[in-house]
Amino acid sequence: MIYNTGIIFSWISFSLLIFLFFNKKNLYTEILVRVNLFIQVFLFCLLEVGLFLNDFSLSYVANYSAESTPPLYKFASLWGSLDGSILLWNLCLSLFMYFYLKLYKDPSSNIDIKIFTLIMIFFVGYTVFSSSPFAGCIELATIGCSASTILPFAELVTSNIGRGPNPLLQNHPLMAIHPPMLYIGYVGMTMPFVAATSRLYSRKDKSNSWIEVAEKTTYIPWLFLTIGITLGAAWSYEVLGWGGYWAWDPVENVSFIPWLLATAFLHSAKIQKTQNTLLNWNYILVGLMFLSTLFGTFITRSGVLISVHAFSNGNIGTYLLFGMLLFGLIFIGIGSKNIEYFSKSKKIDNWFGKSGFFVFNNIFLFSSALVIFIGTIFPLIYETLYSRQITVGRAYYDILVGPLLLILLGLMIFSVKLSIRNLNIQKWFNENVILINIALIVTIFTLFLLNNSYILIITASFSFLLIFTTVSNFYKSFRLTKGSNSYWTGQIAHLGIGIFALGIILNVSQSFSTEIELNSFQEFNFNNDTYFVYNTIEESLPEKNVLKLPISNSNQTKYTSLNIFKNSAQQAISSPAVFRSIINDIYITVKFINEDSYKLIVRNNYGVLIMWIGLLITSLSFFPRLRKNEV
Amino acid sequence: MKSKFITFLLIVIIISMPFISPSSESRLETWSKILLCPVCQGETIYDSPSEYADDMKSILKEQIDNGLTDSEINAFWVERYGERIITNPINNNIEILIVPLSVVLIFISIFIRKLYVKK
Repeated sequence: MIYNTGIIFSWISFSLLIFLFFNKKNLYTEILVRVNLFIQVFLFCLLEVGLFLNDFSLSYVANYSAESTPPLYKFASLWGSLDGSILLWNLCLSLFMYFYLKLYKDPSSNIDIKIFTLIMIFFVGYTVFSSSPFAGCIELATIGCSASTILPFAELVTSNIGRGPNPLLQNHPLMAIHPPMLYIGYVGMTMPFVAATSRLYSRKDKSNSWIEVAEKTTYIPWLFLTIGITLGAAWSYEVLGWGGYWAWDPVENVSFIPWLLATAFLHSAKIQKTQNTLLNWNYILVGLMFLSTLFGTFITRSGVLISVHAFSNGNIGTYLLFGMLLFGLIFIGIGSKNIEYFSKSKKIDNWFGKSGFFVFNNIFLFSSALVIFIGTIFPLIYETLYSRQITVGRAYYDILVGPLLLILLGLMIFSVKLSIRNLNIQKWFNENVILINIALIVTIFTLFLLNNSYILIITASFSFLLIFTTVSNFYKSFRLTKGSNSYWTGQIAHLGIGIFALGIILNVSQSFSTEIELNSFQEFNFNNDTYFVYNTIEESLPEKNVLKLPISNSNQTKYTSLNIFKNSAQQAISSPAVFRSIINDIYITVKFINEDSYKLIVRNNYGVLIMWIGLLITSLSFFPRLRKNEV
Repeated sequence: MKSKFITFLLIVIIISMPFISPSSESRLETWSKILLCPVCQGETIYDSPSEYADDMKSILKEQIDNGLTDSEINAFWVERYGERIITNPINNNIEILIVPLSVVLIFISIFIRKLYVKK
């Protein structure tokens, strides 16, 4: 029932989009976009119904959900694997299409909706022709389903039990929020792409209207991408039990690349609006932002790389490569049509004035994206050339990306007050000498007893100076409502990044860990505190067995646990007990349990809470944009 | 003037700090952050809680206690698991630094050249 309805409605949505694309008279555009949105919402709900009713005749439900899966994770199973996540992708895309039509549509032509429709045809086409989340099961595996059909009205077989979602995906509620946030961020990058290509395609006036729409529509996905990446890092820290939050894993990298590009674009768009420079560069950035999201999906979904995140393969890899080629050609075609317009781009007069600083910002952000991109695909290239596998790990990124990000941190300090004319460093120093001194004193006090290195000292003093200049600027000018809304958006984001940088450098340079072996009802000392270990508690939930080990210090009791998932061949997942404080977290995971003796990994992680606070502030940067006149 | 002097003084103090309390990382720590745990998904043996990583760590500890040089340790692990085991490929493949650096330099030079205006 759900199988037939789902597949038929996917087809209806597909044909409706085809009609919308070839519809010459532009009649009913709004109605069709609305109907399309409605169908996508319906399909989303339909698969949710299938998941909640345990309809195991659907191959997707049989393979990625189980009767015992708790409701929240059943709900989240929809984006727990490839086919379902494309459904969520389509839903976001149709939402953005409606949103774009309502708020940003170019009144003089219909080409923007056509490009949007084309992109949507591409993704809906995948669910129609290649693999659908509504595919019916025609051959059973021992558990779940091994073969399926995407044609309607086939004879289906129903599995008795489902395989259940990947254990990692049902261990923490954050898993229900992190992926949709990233999807909204990823899919939202379609809007600036559509805005730029369509407006430049049909450009009759010589105005810069495309950059305004592209900038406004970039901010929303940028914000969601920030939140999504933050939640992913938090999830990794809370669930995976390795004490870290960012591993330079390929999939993390490909979510970071669009973020860096979008950040670069948000800055350079400002310069184009006021000084009419960087026209061609902005166009390139918008295109790369969109293509990098396709590339990101390609890396995640095609199975070309080994990663915690990579799942499923099928033929989506080739499909996405084809998409990148198609949209890349459209992008280049429309770009070359506007060569004359781009050549009117002004050059930079003052390299140390406002525009110069924004250019430096773009150089370093883009270089970071470039270096991360090369690091991500390097193992692939190397394997093709020499048929040997290599791993590009933390050291590469520390050496190449670290300095670039540090320079960016330094540049942000000047962002508080930039004039068009060149910066007079003498004058700047005189104006800020008190803040500089305070920042240096605070750095010395903070770092005096820590393990020091120059990277730590430079980063910490830059962060403190950035935090102090931004905060004092808030104190001085916010009440006078000086500066535009987007200026304050930037300032809040910079403040957050400053705090974040402080947290991350403390974390990277100061954290340490140790292994402790002990028995039940014993205590151990760590970092000037005494921890007492009780006996394990066994808990049997429908989907997993949990071995909980209570640990308490002088104030509170926390549990570290080993989660052993039924229906899963994966090894047990160790969830940490985290004793939090603003400066450091004591992060305890159990390594193994033997009768009643335990081996614990105890980590002292500095600055984690500071990092989250910083990223939270960055995410709150949308507040000034809510003020009058600006969306 | 006075405040400038203070700034100068503070910078001197800050520069001398790494000598007062230098950062210390044992060789075991450094190496366990380099070696990939082959049965885990992209984790180093420093991060991984698996028993496999544990065994690798104890072999590593033995090697360091016996005073093996970095290149000997490197050769030992690469021979057994292939180059993939070393997450810091910089020592073995210098092109991994040259390629991105040259790409970035080319990008920056083109970018600046396009925007530069002679006065």
